[in-house]
Order: sequence, then C-alpha cells, then structure tokens
Amino acid sequence: MSFALSSFKKDIARWRQDLMSTLIWVAIPLLIGGLITALMSGQGAKPHGTMLLLDQDESLFSELIAGAYSAGELGELISVEKTNIEDGTARINAGEASGFLIIPKGFGDAFLNSEPVTLTLKTNPAQTILPGIITEVTEILLDAGFYLHQLFGSEIQAIKNFGEHPDDALVAAMAVTLQNKFEAVAPQLFPPIIELSIVEPPESDPGTPLAVLFLPGIIVMAVMFSANGLANDYWREREQGTLRRLVYAPGQLSGFVIGKALAAAATISFIGGLTLALGLLYHGISWVKLPSSLLWIAVSGIALFAWLSLLQMSFSSRRSANVISSMLLFPLLMAGGSFFPLAVLPGWIAVVGRAAPNGFVTDRLTAEITAVGTWVIPPSSWSIVIIAAAAGLLACALRLRSGFASA
Amino acid sequence: MLKVEELSKNYGDFVAVDRISFSAGKGVVFGLLGPNGAGKSTAINCISGLLQPTSGRAFVAGHDTVAESKAARQKLGVVPQELALYEDLSAVENLRYWGKAYGLRGDALDARVAEVLEHIGLADRAKDLPKEFSGGMKRRLNFGCGVVHKPPVILLDEPTVGVDPQSRARLFDLVEAERDAGACILYTTHYMEEAERLCDSLAIIDHGKIIAQGTVDELRAKLGARDVLQLSGSFPPDATRHAMEALSNNGNHDLEFVSQEQQSITLTLSNASQHLPAIFEAVSVAGGNVSETSLRSPNLETLFLLLTGKELRE
Repeated sequence: MSFALSSFKKDIARWRQDLMSTLIWVAIPLLIGGLITALMSGQGAKPHGTMLLLDQDESLFSELIAGAYSAGELGELISVEKTNIEDGTARINAGEASGFLIIPKGFGDAFLNSEPVTLTLKTNPAQTILPGIITEVTEILLDAGFYLHQLFGSEIQAIKNFGEHPDDALVAAMAVTLQNKFEAVAPQLFPPIIELSIVEPPESDPGTPLAVLFLPGIIVMAVMFSANGLANDYWREREQGTLRRLVYAPGQLSGFVIGKALAAAATISFIGGLTLALGLLYHGISWVKLPSSLLWIAVSGIALFAWLSLLQMSFSSRRSANVISSMLLFPLLMAGGSFFPLAVLPGWIAVVGRAAPNGFVTDRLTAEITAVGTWVIPPSSWSIVIIAAAAGLLACALRLRSGFASA
Repeated sequence: MLKVEELSKNYGDFVAVDRISFSAGKGVVFGLLGPNGAGKSTAINCISGLLQPTSGRAFVAGHDTVAESKAARQKLGVVPQELALYEDLSAVENLRYWGKAYGLRGDALDARVAEVLEHIGLADRAKDLPKEFSGGMKRRLNFGCGVVHKPPVILLDEPTVGVDPQSRARLFDLVEAERDAGACILYTTHYMEEAERLCDSLAIIDHGKIIAQGTVDELRAKLGARDVLQLSGSFPPDATRHAMEALSNNGNHDLEFVSQEQQSITLTLSNASQHLPAIFEAVSVAGGNVSETSLRSPNLETLFLLLTGKELRE
C-alpha cells in the first residue's frame, strides 16, 4: 500500500504539470453544456426593435394608434419613437429601425367622416420578424377602426361635438344608446356557438427542467474525456521505459496500478466536481447534492478509467489505441446521454444508452441530482461500479504482467 | 553471486539464447561481448525476469530467478539499454520513487538518494527535470535509478550506447566504483575496448551461443602472438587454400588458413608483415589477386573474427 501511495503522488506530480489537458477536459463539456443550456432554458434574448412614428395629425385617434404599439406584450418587442420626416426616412433607409409609420394630418377627421385616408408604413427589408409584426398590428388596428366606425360612427361624431363641458343629460342619453347598440350586436359579435365546460387539470409535478437533465450527461462527458486521457498514460509510461523498469522491481505492479487509479480518481473528481459545482450553481440546485454526487463521480470514474486503460492497452501501438478509443468515445457519449438526456432519447436508444457504462453512470447521477432527497442511488448500483472498478484494475494489472509492461 | 545454467530462450523456431552458462562472484565485472542481435539483451531480460526462459535457470544471490523471483529481484539492479526515467519528475524524485519501489523508506531512503546523487555527479541538479539534462547526465541518472537500492548484483545492458566519450568515461568510473564496493556486475557490450577495460572475465556470444569464455588474458592467449591477416580480392577457392597450405609447409609453420569468403580470406600467423611478399606471391601463383590488405595485432576483436569469421560490429 505504501508503494501505491508513492505511485499516487508520482502521478499527481506528473499530471499537475500538464494543465492544458486538464483545462481541455473541463472546457469542452462546459462549452457544449453552456450552449445546450442556453438553448434549452428559454432565457435567450427576445427580439426587440424600434418603430419610428411621425404623427402629423396629433388627434385623439392618431394618439390611440400610436399607443397601441407599445401596449402590453407588444411593448416588450417594440419601442415607439416619435420622429420627423427627414430623420425617420434617413433612419429607416439606413436600417436602424424595424418600421416607420406616418399618420397624415386630417387622419382623425377622415376617420370620423368615413373619408378615405392613407397611412404610410415603411418596413426594414433586412429584418423579418419585427416588420411583420408591425404590419400585422397596423392592419388589425385599421380593421378595428373600420368596425368601430360602422357601429358607433354617429355616437363618436356626437361625442366629438359635445365640446369641453357636455350636458349631463346628453352624456346619460349617449350611454343608454351605446348600451342598447352593444346589446343588439352582441349575439352577432360574440355568438355562443360552443359551450365550454372548463375542467381544472389535476395538479402535477412541474417536472425537472430540460436544461437540468443535461447536467449529469455533461459531467459524465468531462469524466469520460479525462478518464480516456489519463488511461493513455500507460502508453506514455511504456514508451519512456518506466513500465519496464517497474517489472524489474519485486512485486510492485499492483501497488503501481492502484496508485495510478487513485491519482486518476483524484483528477477525475476535481474535473467532475468542478463541472458539478458550476452546474449546481447555475441551476440553483441545493449544495446538499454535492457530496453524494461527487462520491458517485469518483467511484464510477475509477471504473471508467480502469476499463478505458485496459482498452488502450489492448492495442499494439499508442496511435491505434488513441484512434480507436476516441472513435468509441463519441458514440458512447451520444448513446449514454451526454449530448441528449436519456429521458428524451427514443425508447430503444435510451435502453441501449442506459446499458452503456457511461449511460449507467449518467442515469444514476441524474437520479441523484434531480431527486427530492439525497443518497438516492441504490446500493446495488454502488456495488456494480465498485465491482466494475475492482475487476477493471485487476484486469489492468494482469495485462501489465502479461507483457504490456515488458514489451 | 550470479549463476546461469544452460539458459535458453526460443521464439518459435528461432533460438535467441542457446544454453548459455556462466557465473560471476562478488566484486567482479563479467562481460557478455557480442555483436548486435547476438542474444545479449535477451539473456539479460531472462535473468532480470522480464522474459521467462524456455529452459535452464539463473540464480541471483542464490535465489532462482523464476521460482524465487521476488527475492531474486530484490537483490538485482538493472540499468537498461534505453533510458527509463520520468522526464517530468526531478532527478531526486526519480531516485526516491525507484528507491521506494525496492522497499527503501524514511532515513535510509534519504541517505541513499543523497549518496547516489553525489555518486552520479548530479547533487547540484537534484531538483532539475531530466528533460533539461544532457544525454550523458540522463545516462548517469538512469544508472543511479538502477542501483539506488544498493543491489549486490547489477545488470548493465549496453549502458554506453550513444554516449559521448566524456560521459562514457564517467560511467566506467561508476561501474568500477560499484565493483569496488563489492557488487557483482554483468556488463553487456559490443565494444571490445570496453570489455577489455572493465571486465575481469567475459563470454563471447554469437547467435545466442557462448563461443568463448574466460578472463581477458585467457582469451588473448587463445590467439597466441599471431596476427590476423585479412586479404580482399579474388581467390580461386581450392587453389588458394592449397597455396597457403604449401606456404605453411615450406617454413611458415604457424600460418593458419582460417576462412574463405567470396572475396576475402583470413589467415593468422606470427610476424605477418614479414611474410606478406611470400603470401602475395602464393596468391598470384594460385591465380588470384589481392586488392586490399588488413593486418591486425591480437585482441578480443580479432579473436571474435577468428571465432565467427565476421567483425564484432557487423
């Protein structure tokens, strides 16, 4: 055990000098994870544009139209900015606004008198969504104005003629008239064609946000990258002759393998732990999840490292070991829930993915992170990874003894 | 301290080491001299436990290297032909790690590492990384890692390959210091001058077989005082041999016709330079001609030439 500790210190000292690899093992999953999370969390920036308005009429009706663009949710998309003809024309031509609406003088009177009038709307051809919205809103406003005039044209005209201090009796008579007209047209405007029976849905668990489901896969991706990179160290040691020298020493192979596995576990825990901590922080998940998740990452990291080491030692050259293990890594990550959560994968792919070593780890880590409590990974799963780690390390020692170290 | 009995190593039909036997005691440097591919490294690998011998046995400090491999390895230090160092650990970290691999701990480890660093001349560079060292310094550290546990038996597999003359001399000093301290050293080389300088006794190996064995003086004596004369040119096979035999019978009694290749013949005789005109005459009469002459006084290399018909460095 003492030599295992020496080997552990030796490998930590060596790997500490290769900071670039560590950074890459952390950076790639974080980059992929960051992009996925940004896409899935729905908190991306909404489009926002400016509509330039030239109100040459400045009547009640033109003010109503101008106010309609910045009301409610539309106001989150569009800012209305009043301007003059020169500035407005120059800015819309320069593509600095989504639209430029000109309300001509006499618009209010023409509306009241049912006379033709033309509103001018220039849109920005370089944009698609916001000019479309502005056009649609303008058309709806004009249609609404038309129907309003058809129904209440005489009343609107009368209101206009009230002056600043209308007689109370006139106002009361107007109110009664409007009420009667509403009641008369209501069956046509709002026909009760369908009777709705509103049934409240049963209260349900809002479920885990999709972005959170990506987190375990991203952590396991970082673990897989680092485990595969560290597994290549057996080849490095062989090429520099230190494995051969190890064989000369009396009975130290097992200590060497254990020491390397412990160093790998420490490195993987650091990388996986860093990714986990960032994920917990970003998604606002409780820190009580950290110890159990980190222990799972460390133990399963040893198992993955051991079997990836054995895989690499199965090839006849370092180059072929690198190529084949890298080729295997990406399908494993794909099926094992690192690019898409296992929960959203099609049925049979999810089954295959959960059966893959990394998928098994991801599945349990997902349960640990998303569950209400902690330490939810069943003992049987812990037993499987511990047995897998022990068997993998034993197989590595046997592979070293059977010729990999002395070749 | 080191005993090898009828040791063989086969790879299928190929016999890399063919029933070699030798022994060496305490404070002795035993050389295995032979050309590249002769089987020296294979023999070392069998003794060190890197390879399983096909047959035969080896004993290190009385321990069978197969049956008692752990005990045998504990008594053995190996300095491999290729460098075997952690380039990203300092010199002192390398020595400490390999010391621990052989069970050294605590004060004993500290003292021995300091002693070895001094011994190999790297005490002032102890904390530097080997990747910053010259080739000779790396060789010395490689040597230090092999002897850090103070083994009674040391295997040195061509430790001077690719080393500059100054570093080579430094390595010789290290080997001699270990010998003087009582270690038994098995030293393989294909450099005759190294074997002559360092080895108390040696075996000449070719094609996996030991073809001559003894002290350097004993092996020299096999040549007597005869020079080795190698002639290149064209030589009618039987006529040349008969001509040389006739010359031997007519006064040059110690002339020996050693071998004939396609375009060369090898002879040994005393004071060869005095007999060159007669030899050229005899070759000419036999219908041959000489285009090049090589005359060498007796040494291990000429012994190897006589025994194998080829150069040591071929």
